[in-house]
Amino acid sequence: MFWGVNVLLASRSWPFARLLVPVIFGATLLILWQMIVVRFEISPVILPAPTDIAAAFMSNLPTLWVDFVQTIVRGALVGYVLGCGIAILAALAIDRSPFLQKGLLPVGNFIAALPIVGTAPILVMWYGFGPSSKVAVVVAMVFFPMLVNAVQGLKESDAIQRDLMHTYAASYWQTLLKLRLPTALPFLFNGLKICTTLALIGAIVAEFFGSPTVGMGFRIKIEVGRLAMDMVWAEIAVAALAGSGLYGLMALLERKLTFWHPSQRRG
Amino acid sequence: MKHLTLGAAALLASGSMALADGHEAEVNLQLQWVTQSQFAGYYVALENGYYEEEGLSVNIIPGGPDIAPPQVLAGGGADVMLNWMPSALAARENGLPVVNIAQPFVRSGLMLTCWADSGITEPEDLAGHTVAHWFFGNEYPFLSWMSQLGIGVEGGDDGVTLLQAGFNVDPLLQRQADCMSTMTYNEYWQVIDAGVSPDELVTFRYEDYGVSTLEDGIWALEENLEDPEFVDRMARFVRASMRGWAWAAENPDEAAMIVLDYDETGAQTEEHQLRMMGEVALLVEGGDGRLDEEAYQRTVDTLLAGGSDPVISEAPEGAFTHVVTDAALAE
Repeated sequence: MFWGVNVLLASRSWPFARLLVPVIFGATLLILWQMIVVRFEISPVILPAPTDIAAAFMSNLPTLWVDFVQTIVRGALVGYVLGCGIAILAALAIDRSPFLQKGLLPVGNFIAALPIVGTAPILVMWYGFGPSSKVAVVVAMVFFPMLVNAVQGLKESDAIQRDLMHTYAASYWQTLLKLRLPTALPFLFNGLKICTTLALIGAIVAEFFGSPTVGMGFRIKIEVGRLAMDMVWAEIAVAALAGSGLYGLMALLERKLTFWHPSQRRG
Repeated sequence: MKHLTLGAAALLASGSMALADGHEAEVNLQLQWVTQSQFAGYYVALENGYYEEEGLSVNIIPGGPDIAPPQVLAGGGADVMLNWMPSALAARENGLPVVNIAQPFVRSGLMLTCWADSGITEPEDLAGHTVAHWFFGNEYPFLSWMSQLGIGVEGGDDGVTLLQAGFNVDPLLQRQADCMSTMTYNEYWQVIDAGVSPDELVTFRYEDYGVSTLEDGIWALEENLEDPEFVDRMARFVRASMRGWAWAAENPDEAAMIVLDYDETGAQTEEHQLRMMGEVALLVEGGDGRLDEEAYQRTVDTLLAGGSDPVISEAPEGAFTHVVTDAALAE
């Protein structure tokens, strides 16, 4: 019945339907999940019911909050800003120098290919058990995707547009700020959006390899050890909310700043 | 209503449930960790044919850093698991009714290894120092110990700064921590092999401070123990395994070599395994597989004294049974 209503809503183009459809869809999935767990008496250590997860979530709010601050705020976000910032600066350097383009890009590619399970323990050894090592892991993870997107974005302006700037006697920096960065924005945002997820994964997984006794990765690890899966799922819910929030923020900025781009047109 | 787990569904699908008469009964054993002499008794029983003599076909499934044996058991991936009692009892409290059916290890091999030059000479000195400990269920004895000593684990001058470390001894060697959890039969020797002399270290065996908890017990799901056929299969399994342990304790060198043969990763070295076998033999010495209720009670008391965040909140009921070992030792 839900489904029928939802299909009907999806076929309409009412403004509120855009929000309502995914909400109903998600709720239906949760109800199905609950029904399957209850109906087949699935053991809570395999898959807890959504109601159990919600209960664990509500009764552990203070813990979830300090874990969130430790992992997302002090780890993922700091690493995200640092990593993406360095990558954009590196892209500008590469753009100005053919030597770097030939030298730095392959090295960046190599760093991107390093598996996190290999680098995380080493970085924990170098930077200690605190958030610094998590920041380092996140920087290593987000640097390359951001770099590639930024380099590509800087190539986006057409030769004819650059020639026009040249006839205006615009300097390199003027051309960069007035023409090349704006045309690069769709690519920059693409990189920024991809990196939101990578930053979260990096910060959480890095904690598996060493951490103080706080943090989302730490909590997931110890709660799996004692089979408190409802708490593990509560942490996963926090990660999903944080990830969606950060991604949503980037998408919103993109819409505000690249309103001129064809992909942003609304029919 | 029919009780159905994902694992049972998978088993039904694969059709391996139907064992006709004359077939060997299958037992899937989930180890707590990777293939090493810590599990020599089981590999010896397999290699020397003790399981076969009992009409069993045993699969030994190695574990690893991210494998929680209780979850494998819950999912139907194994009939029986080896687990430390703290983590098994925590799983029981969290809704997975596991029962201890035998306890080959009578002593704990867990200890704290500290740098002597950190000024730590007795447990009370730990306050104000940094301790790296394994978690994933291995942290409970330490937390209980600290709470019994009245030392906090939130850092500061009069508390311990606790770090969650991976399963290696790097934090100690790198001096990121003054002390680290080690096993008598494994990590302690990794520290020694790294070129540290025993004089430079101070060790505290949990066993000596009355806070040790039972390790490497054999656990099965409660519901299966209602089935007499399963109990009989487990009795044969435990009997053969204890024969394996007895042989391994008498022939430690040969036992270590058998373990090496079964190590498919090739990660283990001969020297390390021989030494491990010698140490593990001390932990199984004098045990016949039957759970010592005094040791069980000490484990439970230790866990209940876990401070602000106890592992288990109340004494478990029916978490062990002698039914299997009684049957195994009867013949």
